[in-house]
Amino acid sequence: MGIQSHFSEDGQELIISIQGRFDFSAHQNFRNSYESVEGTPSVYNIDMNETTYLDSSALGMLLLLRDHAGGNSSNIKIINCSADVKKILTISNFEQLFTIQ
Amino acid sequence: MKESSVLKVLIADDTDSDRLILESIVKKEGHITISVANGVQAVEAYEAEHPDIVLMDALMPELDGFGAARQIKALAGEELVPIIFLTSLNDAESLVKCLDAGGDDFLSKPYNRFILQAKIKAFSRMRDMNITMQDQRDQISVYNNQLLQEQSVAKHVFDNIAHTGCLDASNVNYLLSPLAVFNGDIIVAAMRPSGGMLVLLGDFTGHGLPAAIGAMPLASVFYGMVQKGFSMVDILREINQKLKQILPLGVFCCAGMVDFDFTKKRVKIWNGGLPDCFIYHAESKELQMVKSTHLPLGVLDDNSFNDDYETVEMLDGDRLFVWSDGIIESRNKNDEMFGEDRLKNIFTNNEYPDGLFESIVDNVQLFLGMESRDDDVSMIELKMVPQDSVITKAKNLVHNRSVGLVEWAMTLELEPSTFRIFDPLPLLLNILVEVPGLRRYSGELYSILAELYSNALEHGVLALDSSWKQSGEGFSKYYEERESRLAQLIDGFVHIHLSHKIDDSGGKLLIRMTDSGDGFDVAGTPSELLANNVMNSGRGIPLVKSVCESVEYNSIGNQVDAIFVWQEE
Amino acid sequence: MPEAVDLDTLTMLKDIMEDEFDLLIETFIDDAKVRIPQLKKQLAEGEHDELMRNAHSLKGSSSNLGAIPFSEKCMKVESQAKEGNLNGLEGALSDIEQEFNLVESALKELI
Repeated sequence: MGIQSHFSEDGQELIISIQGRFDFSAHQNFRNSYESVEGTPSVYNIDMNETTYLDSSALGMLLLLRDHAGGNSSNIKIINCSADVKKILTISNFEQLFTIQ
Repeated sequence: MKESSVLKVLIADDTDSDRLILESIVKKEGHITISVANGVQAVEAYEAEHPDIVLMDALMPELDGFGAARQIKALAGEELVPIIFLTSLNDAESLVKCLDAGGDDFLSKPYNRFILQAKIKAFSRMRDMNITMQDQRDQISVYNNQLLQEQSVAKHVFDNIAHTGCLDASNVNYLLSPLAVFNGDIIVAAMRPSGGMLVLLGDFTGHGLPAAIGAMPLASVFYGMVQKGFSMVDILREINQKLKQILPLGVFCCAGMVDFDFTKKRVKIWNGGLPDCFIYHAESKELQMVKSTHLPLGVLDDNSFNDDYETVEMLDGDRLFVWSDGIIESRNKNDEMFGEDRLKNIFTNNEYPDGLFESIVDNVQLFLGMESRDDDVSMIELKMVPQDSVITKAKNLVHNRSVGLVEWAMTLELEPSTFRIFDPLPLLLNILVEVPGLRRYSGELYSILAELYSNALEHGVLALDSSWKQSGEGFSKYYEERESRLAQLIDGFVHIHLSHKIDDSGGKLLIRMTDSGDGFDVAGTPSELLANNVMNSGRGIPLVKSVCESVEYNSIGNQVDAIFVWQEE
Repeated sequence: MPEAVDLDTLTMLKDIMEDEFDLLIETFIDDAKVRIPQLKKQLAEGEHDELMRNAHSLKGSSSNLGAIPFSEKCMKVESQAKEGNLNGLEGALSDIEQEFNLVESALKELI
């Protein structure tokens, strides 16, 4: 399970990629990926292309990110979701808080 | 690493010269030696001296090395006491014999000093590790026991708060493991005073005590409010607010709430984060799904919370199923998921609706196998039945819409000493929200009270002219004047009278505000002007007019009656 | 002709034993002087287990002292005794006795 983050060219977007299982063990790494970067991105892209699994603690971590990114004024996209990941996000209606692609 | 520590080494060799050599090698490393010449002495010396390492000659009189090694290992028990066999036996069979007897290593003759020293060092390290490991294991055991203790205390508290309510009712079947609360699962159910049944199934994120903690305020709020006659929406909103307030960010509760109306044969369902609820229509054998359309509880603040629900007609015999994702997501030994299809098949293949619940439970347990844990498989089945046939030991079986503040009246008389320093509106609102039907209108009611009170106090008692509020400086002049008149006031009053009655469809609240002022020309003021906020006497009451059924002044103009009507949902 | 005792081994032993080197040599020699007659007695009385164990011990202790040829002779006796065959061991035992004389002389030169 690996989590990496990097800025877009214009420095406005922070892209966080999550490989493997996104569960409770990813807690510290996920927080580091957005807390320890320099600069304040206006958009966050969570790339789930290589995410194999997502559970409710992952949903909780997304809520933490959302709060960090400004709560209601945050702009967070969750992209490249597999069908399984999308299903979990949909049941919890997280598309009401995040843009899901 | 205690490599430089002094060890006690037991040397068992029946040849005098060999013993001498070993003693010297070991002493040269700074260790202490105990020397014996046969197996019996070796065991005795072990018991007496408790050496850290044993060098054991294989062939000895009285008791040979193998026998002595077995006895010593038995005496040592869990402790790791390395035994290095000294032997010039070099056939495989003998070496195997050494290991079988409990030997950890060999040293062959002629003795190589460096090899022996290296082996002693290595085994000493291993021995230290073993001691550390056992200490840690013992610590873990203690902590684990403490945890179990804490959990049982928590469970005790939880059981007192989250009693089973009316889960024993004749039309209810449910599956909830006794320790489910530590998996974040909770089911609460209670009869409404009006005769319906409210049920909530919740699945908190997390495990252990953190998952159980949210369940307590949830159950407390639920049971507290149901008995007072509050509606599903009121209770959902209150629970959501409470959880949002107390749970840490990222912790939430997937939940489904159901309002079962046995008289109207209708069910209201709110699903936030649980898998689809199934409704099985007995006659048509049709399966209807109610999806999760809301975020789980504890995520959104009260402003953003959506309390929309789905309404479904259910005939007698129809059944509603609500479950946590523990069923669909459960995995068997081959890591296959139970899945929604398998669940649907149980319904399709079912011939005997009364056995549906059992059938589901059996299927899940068969799928999972004997040994697996099922404390996150929680579900409830609710059957629609005639109102009278709902039997439960639970209290509150009063079929009476009249519960809580139903018919009442009160008058609050405020004198200058009070309204100089005290805003009565929060107090009044607090009382009003205890009336189940009025709670959801708390916003409107506050505005009504605020407008009427402001008129009564400022324009009635203090006789301020609102036209001053038109300009910028007039505005501050108005408030300065308000403060000074209030401070100098000796006589005057505002009386607030509230009375409430219920009827078949809902209820009526009368708000009567009387002030000690001179009033205004009621007869001469057209009602449209009253609806306007801009008036010389400042008695604009636009909001009051829009929300109330009627607003009437007495002839003098210092008393107003506003009637607010509410409907049962 | 191989040396009765290996001097390298004895040098290392000297280093290990320090002041007790002489004690070691004397202990070995005394021990052997007891065991060798014992071997003969055990052979005469057909006690092949005790004979085997005795030869085994001698083999081991002598190897520690670097007396390689002596040790090998003991090993032969041990193997045969283990098989239960005591025939022709008188010769082997005299060999051992003779070899021991050489060992003893060599060792005594060092103390």
